[in-house]
Order: sequence, then structure tokens, then C-alpha cells
Amino acid sequence: MDNQIFYQNNQTIYTANPMKGLEEKLAILADAAKYDVACTSSGVSRSGKKGYLGNSVAAGVCHSFAADGRCISLLKILMSNACIYDCKYCCNRISNDIPRATFTPEEICTLTIEFYKRNYIEGLFLSSGVIGSPDKTMEKICETLRLLRTKYKFNGYIHVKAIPGASSELLYSAGLLADRISINMEMPTNDSLQNMAPDKDMSDILLPMNQIADTIARFRVASGKSALFERAKINNYLVDSIWGQRQEHIEGGNGDQSYKRALHILSAGDSAMQHPAERKDIALGRTFAPGGQSTQMIIGASGETDYQLIHTSQALYRKFDLRRVFYSAYIPLNEDAALPALGTPVPLLREHRLYQADWLLRYYGFYANEIVSADQPNLDYAIDPKCNWALRHMELFPVEINTATPDVLLRIPGIGPTGVKKILSARRYGPLNFDMLKKMRIVLKRARYFITCGGKTLGLLNLDDAYIRRCLTDECREEAMQITDSGMQYRQTNLFTDFGLGVG
Amino acid sequence: MLTCIYEASASGLVHKNIRLMLEPIQQYTLFDEYVHVSSDSAKAAKVMDAIVTRISYQVYRELALASMAYEEDVLDNIYHVLLLGFHHGPSVLEMVQYADVMRNAEIRLRVKREANRFQEFVRFHQIGNTYISHIEPKSKIVTYLGPIFADRMPSIDFMIIDDVHKEALVHPADSPYYLRRLTEEEFNRLQKTEEVNDQYTDMWKTFFQQIAIQERHNERCQTNLFPKWSRKHVTEFM
Ligand code: SF4
Repeated sequence: MDNQIFYQNNQTIYTANPMKGLEEKLAILADAAKYDVACTSSGVSRSGKKGYLGNSVAAGVCHSFAADGRCISLLKILMSNACIYDCKYCCNRISNDIPRATFTPEEICTLTIEFYKRNYIEGLFLSSGVIGSPDKTMEKICETLRLLRTKYKFNGYIHVKAIPGASSELLYSAGLLADRISINMEMPTNDSLQNMAPDKDMSDILLPMNQIADTIARFRVASGKSALFERAKINNYLVDSIWGQRQEHIEGGNGDQSYKRALHILSAGDSAMQHPAERKDIALGRTFAPGGQSTQMIIGASGETDYQLIHTSQALYRKFDLRRVFYSAYIPLNEDAALPALGTPVPLLREHRLYQADWLLRYYGFYANEIVSADQPNLDYAIDPKCNWALRHMELFPVEINTATPDVLLRIPGIGPTGVKKILSARRYGPLNFDMLKKMRIVLKRARYFITCGGKTLGLLNLDDAYIRRCLTDECREEAMQITDSGMQYRQTNLFTDFGLGVG
Repeated sequence: MLTCIYEASASGLVHKNIRLMLEPIQQYTLFDEYVHVSSDSAKAAKVMDAIVTRISYQVYRELALASMAYEEDVLDNIYHVLLLGFHHGPSVLEMVQYADVMRNAEIRLRVKREANRFQEFVRFHQIGNTYISHIEPKSKIVTYLGPIFADRMPSIDFMIIDDVHKEALVHPADSPYYLRRLTEEEFNRLQKTEEVNDQYTDMWKTFFQQIAIQERHNERCQTNLFPKWSRKHVTEFM
């Protein structure tokens, strides 16, 4: 490749100005990393230490917003984009003729430290194309993180990507050095993965995911925590949710899974990483991936349905206790018969609806099969999935605000977890009326069709299903237009301020 | 009395550093040779003690937060809340049925939002071994930022300069930070720090440009989340 400006052995061809060379590499490797959506620095609370640089704030901190409106919290880069694989959807695939670059571990450390000291970032997000082999790549990544934690005494947030196919010894080290570790699924099914990423194997993704989940749980149990992560507090009000049943929430675990998982870990068949990790990494005394693991799926590159995506997400949450599943609308970059043609619009609205569906799973007590069914495998993008569910279940409405249980309140369109909490606490002092609901910022434009207050509706309502659907679709239209117009709003802290909850 | 309360509250979050403020700090001769001490501090300390012992430390901290605000009625409001506090005790801030307490909660929320914004958007420039930043907040929030950045970079010399109120939060490496009112001359000298060439500035701008996805360009969203007024000293927009 003629237009390579750096060779893979890290010999830069720039000698006159090393800073300029570093800047060019940064340009290439930030550009190559930008399609990974995860940029949150959340999930870990750690104070600073004398002699070290950095701390970590549980709610995460955004430091800037890029021209696409997405939050910038971490220095998101690839170690190298000189990948030997040929995943069809990826701009770094070997068959593309693009400039390639590879950072040295020292360069990554310097950038992280210098950016951190200037308050540009909360930490590092490090991923990489496959250089040589998965193990060789993972080894370089571990070397970088080790250097950062020891020589550079960096105590801030690190999110590391595990390379599918890397050995579990190396993943163990990576988890000990980082705060969050993630393996991208990219595709929800084995078939689509094989079709899109012929060099990858689903078992190289799911097995390590399972190992990581068990190792995280083992470390949590050892430090006196519950095996599974605590979920948003609102789930404690629910009789049932994908996280398990209420009885277990109250007893301090996190659903029946928690109990089973704990048993599983304590029994011999557990797949937690057992082998001795690199001694230096153990000696650091860090917890294994205290911020948990996450993953990402690409939306709209192959023919996957929302049904497959949402059911896969639910399974990942339940089985591997993932903190987040991210959805990344595919941007046509490569010409390939198996892919949408160049210039195909980016499915931003679909991505937005999937995030909404994902929230229904995580915060609202919904199960995947309530949101989307096998015979109608895609969401209705014209309307948000919660409104859509309510319209299909008009027999359950209207609901009396003054007496309904939290589960039921949470299913009313226009009322979110914060609203439910406000209603519950205000109800203790006397009956509520519509005026009070308005003050609590309940979205009455949506909720009015589904509620009564003291037996009364808000004005005269036409309760014809089709009519309500039209009204709600109109209501959703403006939001939909904003998203299809451009991008959607990403601000990681929204979740926390909106729901007043722990970690995401 | 009011002035005393105000003084106490304004120096609030750094009260543990007051002793330090009384002493000249040798290793810190970059811009400051001495620190102002006036007899007011003693009075303020008394009021502070009264709040902490007769109400609670929590209330004291919350009121200190309110005292950073620019709202015109804030002094008067704190005074009234304090009177209520001496009467009702530590739960005073929950008694939202009092208009003053409600107003106080509003003010605190606004100050906190503003301060959190600056926590995200403060940008430091390296000058020698010191990291210096300028901000132009509406409220006097540098003391709020003190503990946040001291925890983030405990072993680094840094300074956050509030250009509006002409105050600087000074943090010598491995030592407690302190607040300092800047003299005209100090202030003017410090104005030039952003002109000093810092080699990582361009590096960051490059990253900032590269990380955006053109196909998802959304200026409206960016402006909503990062309002233009708050971009003044932010490296990537300079
Ligand atoms: S492994 Fe596949 S997805 Fe990852 S960088 Fe290489 S080509 Fe891209």
C-alpha cells in the first residue's frame, strides 16, 4: 500500500518533528475508532491518590460534545488500524486502501496523561484492529495499560476492548488493569456474523463474555458485594423485571439469577478465570473490571430484525449481567454486495427506537416479547415503543393515579421513573390532581389518554384507539424529524439526571 | 452580622484551609508572595462555628454552596434560612413549606448545575510545570471546583482563575488548595497564559475534529449540550 504513512513496525517515516508525527497518527487512529459508540466513563467511583493522576466519578463526566452532538468523555482511539481481518462493515478492513498507523504504548500513555491533565478527558478508551494475531494485539494492549497504571501512575478511567480470539490469560490482565472491558458482538446472530465478519467466530465472543461475567462476579463476591451489579433503584419497586423478582431485590440480591450465579461461582463448574495472571497486574490490587462489561451491535448492516436485536440484548443482560448494550447505526463506508449501498441514509431513527426499547427492558420492567413479536419483528418507528405497547393494551387503561401500583404507573406513556417516584411520595400526603401532576412534569399530552385522577379524566377524551394512535404519532413526529434530520442527542449524564439513579 | 455570615459562607468550602491561608507559602512563589488576612476572617470563623455546632455541618456546606450564587436576594435569603435553622435545627433545608427554604433550594440547584458544567469544560494550559485555567462563571464557583480537581490531580500544581470575580483557586502539588483574591497586577499578568503555546492544544483540536462522524452531523444538538456562551475558554473552540 503506497499511501501508508507509518509502517506496522512502528517506525515512523517522520523524523523532523515527532509531535507532528504523533498528531498525524492521532488523526488516523481517532478517525478509525469513532464508529464505536461507547464513550461513557461511568460505573466506577474511585478517589484520587497522592502521587497518582486521576479519579473516577460513578455518574461519568462528559468533557465535550463533538460536531455530531455526541459526548466526548474518553480519549477514544485504536492502537492500530492495520488490521489483518476483513470484516465487511468496517473501514479498517484489510481490503480497504487507507492510511494505516500504529501507536507505541508510550505514545498512548503520553496522550492520555497530557489530555487528562488539561481536563480534556476522563480517561482512555482503547481498542485496536488485529495486528499479527489476536494474542499479539491483546498483549500490546495490556502492555500499554500496564505502563499507564504503573510507570505513569494513571488512576483515571480505562475502557478496554477485548479482541475476539485472544487468550483468557490476556483478558484477565486487561480486566485487572481497566475499569470496563467489552467485546463487541457487532451482529446479533451467528449467521449474520459469519456473513459479515468471516474471520470472527461467535464462540470467540460469547465464551470470553461468559468468562468475564463470571470473573467480575467472583471479584464482587470476594469484596463482599452481591454477585450481580445493582440496577437502577426503580427496579426495586417492580414486582418483576428482566433483573429478577422483587422478593430478591429486597433481600439484597439482584433477582433469582443472583442467587443462581452465586451458587454457580462457588461451585466447581464456574468459568471464571482461574490461572495466575501476570504477577505485576495482580500486585496492583485492583478489582477486575469494576465498571462491568458492555457490548455493541451494528444496526442496519445486515438484515437483522429488531426482534433479534432486542431479544439478544435481553439475553445478554440476563446471562452476562452486561452494564449496557450499545446500538450503532451503520454508516455505509464500504462498497459490498452484502451491505447497504453507499449513500443509504443512516438508520438514526431506528437506532433511537432501539435505545428506547432497551430502556424499557432496563428501567421499566418490560420483557423483550412485550415490545416486539416474532410475527411483527420490527418496531413501529413512527411511535415510541412504550406508547405502542399501551395502544395495544387499551383494555388495561385508564389507570387511577391515586391508587395504581408502581409497576402499573411505570407503564403509562408520559410517566418515567422520576415521575413514578414523585407520585409515590406525594400520594402519601393526600390525593393528587392534574395540576399537581403538571407541576411534577408528567407529560400530560401523552399520559392523559391513559389516566384518571380521582376518577376524572383530563377534559373530554375521545378514547377511540385509532384516534389516540394518530394523536400520539403526531406527538412523536417532531421528535422523529429531529432525529432523521440529523443525529440524536447523546449525553451520558441524561440518564442519571432524568432517573436520579446510580450507574449506567 | 450579615457581612460576617456572608464572609463565612463565601470562604466556606475552604475553611479547613484557613490556617494555610494565614501562612505565606514558600514553595509557591510563581505569582503569589503573600495571602490576604483580615480581621474579618476571625469573625467569620465564629459564625461558621455557630452554624456547624448549632445546626449541622451539612447545612453549613449547603449554605456555602448557595453563597456562591449571583442572585441578588441570596444574602438576605441565607440570613433568613439561618434564622430558621437556629430555630428548627439540622432538618431546616427539608422544610420546603417555608418560601425561603424553597428559594434556597432553587438557588443551590442552579449553582450546582453551573458548577458541574465548569467541572466538564474547564481547560488547563501548561505553563512550565503549572496547569492554569481561566473561567468566566456567573457564580463564584471556584471553591466548588476545588475539592473536585484536588482529588483528580492531587500531585499537580494547578490554578483555576475566575476572570469575572478575580479570584484564583491555587493548588500546590500534594498540599491543600486555597483561595486567593487577585490584585490588579497579578490578574493582568495571568491574563496572558492562554497565549502561551501548549503543544497538546493542537493535538486535542485534531482529536476533537476527527472523532465527529460527518454523516451524523448535528450542530443543533451540539449547541444544546454545549452552549456557545460557555465555550469562551474552551480549547477546542478557541
Ligand atoms: S477486526 Fe474487523 S471490525 Fe475489527 S478492525 Fe479489523 S476489520 Fe475492523
